[in-house]
Amino acid sequence: MRLEDDTPIGDLDLAVIDRDGAVREAAQALHSRGDVLRGGLAAAGAIAAGLLLPRSAEAGELAGGDRSVLAYALSLEYLQDAFYTEAERVGALTGARRTAASVLGGVERAHVRAFQGLLGSGAPARPSFDFRGTTEENDAFLRTAVALEDLSVAAYKAQAPHIKAPAVLQAAVGIHSVEARHAAWMRHLVGVRPAANAFDEAEGRDAVLKTVASTRFIVRKTPRTTRKRSPRFTG
Amino acid sequence: MDRIVAASAPRGDVVASIGAAGHRRRRRRLRVAGAVALAAVVVAGAVGLIVGRAADDGPAHAARPPERSALAAQLPAAPAAALDVPRPAALDRTERGTGAWAPVLRATLARTRPSTGAATVSRVGTRTPEGTSNILEVIGRRRDDAGALWVRVRLAVLPNGTTGWIPRAAIGGLTAVHTHLVVNLAERKATLVREGRVVLRAPVGIGAPGATTPTGSFYIRNKLTRFASPTYGPVAFGTSARSADLTDWPAGGFIGIHGTDQPELLPGAVSHGCIRMRNADILRLAKLMPVGTPVTVRA
Repeated sequence: MRLEDDTPIGDLDLAVIDRDGAVREAAQALHSRGDVLRGGLAAAGAIAAGLLLPRSAEAGELAGGDRSVLAYALSLEYLQDAFYTEAERVGALTGARRTAASVLGGVERAHVRAFQGLLGSGAPARPSFDFRGTTEENDAFLRTAVALEDLSVAAYKAQAPHIKAPAVLQAAVGIHSVEARHAAWMRHLVGVRPAANAFDEAEGRDAVLKTVASTRFIVRKTPRTTRKRSPRFTG
Repeated sequence: MDRIVAASAPRGDVVASIGAAGHRRRRRRLRVAGAVALAAVVVAGAVGLIVGRAADDGPAHAARPPERSALAAQLPAAPAAALDVPRPAALDRTERGTGAWAPVLRATLARTRPSTGAATVSRVGTRTPEGTSNILEVIGRRRDDAGALWVRVRLAVLPNGTTGWIPRAAIGGLTAVHTHLVVNLAERKATLVREGRVVLRAPVGIGAPGATTPTGSFYIRNKLTRFASPTYGPVAFGTSARSADLTDWPAGGFIGIHGTDQPELLPGAVSHGCIRMRNADILRLAKLMPVGTPVTVRA
């Protein structure tokens, strides 16, 4: 589906491709403010604050700490890593989308390994995800990818002023620009203008968390597949 | 000697020629240097005028700014990044996994085609007879004419090997697995492969005549532990395979993979269809094989 250059993601007629409503719900959550960039931010943020960071961080006690920022960034990377890796594993995408999922998945996995290495045992745990079919179909994949990349760009931008150590800031800026390239690539593929704004807004953690949680990409209840019980198999 | 003289004459010409060319180059360099110096003086004068005017127009305390080169020299070098980011790489064949499963979030009907109007194959619930979450191996996907996404899944029903289509919205997140259990009935041997490597081989007991172990493609549905039943050993895996012979067996006649209190019978065709392993082997398997692992039973 080719879209007009100026069409923001949030205004797309998702019903055309999303009869299940899953993508529409996620996109509405991501773009509830009507801004692709800010909407994108929201998805990844929910992971970090809602599930991964310690309570002290949620309360804001570690808001200024580099470690807290890094843990938050890792949470965003977990989301992107899982999204692209699942898309690559499922193998349902075609053409340029398939290539993009493979390339971006490799980059996001590299980011995750780097952050895990830096944080060591203090790294937040990787949550479980349910992308609700968005990794399994071309159009849904692209729309979600745009939102997630825009989200990541704005999220990194918002945390930059809180970073104290120059080496950590250097690392964050280095990844921020990579995510911006990803965002432009995904926007190009979906048919919206890659560089539409003269200034990109940042989005704080609280707003990001709230929006990401509403996408329901993060699974809070994992299936119970093991049980202490005597079997009744045929023997 | 003549040869030497004869030979040296041209060399002298060459030297003289080189010397003349050198003088010409030096003269050109001098001219270029002179032109550059003149240009520099002109530019400096112009800059001086501009700066001077700016200083005159500005506050009384405005000082003459330092030279641009001096300003640039004051800029610090880029700090080293705190992160050591590895080179990105696409998933290799083993990382892509051997399959994917998802839990059933809401009861639904499996159909013969990805359409609400297609015939029903079976009902799919959210729980197994063992009380665990019902999981399904997802082996395909397609959108219907209305645009809704459907997934093709293996069904734990008779006849073995049955698949069906259910709405994608009825299942939860996908979990990839990287293991594959192969049971060879003729050799009475089980082999677990993880990321392309054999990590366990073990002799097994299989179904006796009249209660044969079904062949085909299945998956591990659940794992039962810490039960007090020596017949099943310390651990039992439930599979999606069902006995075609013992259809009235309690709880559906599902084929399990479990331990035994009669290890001396292995390997052999001794079970009611289940795959029996020595307790030490089933304990090793329990550490290596996650739920959702595809199972291939070959004749």
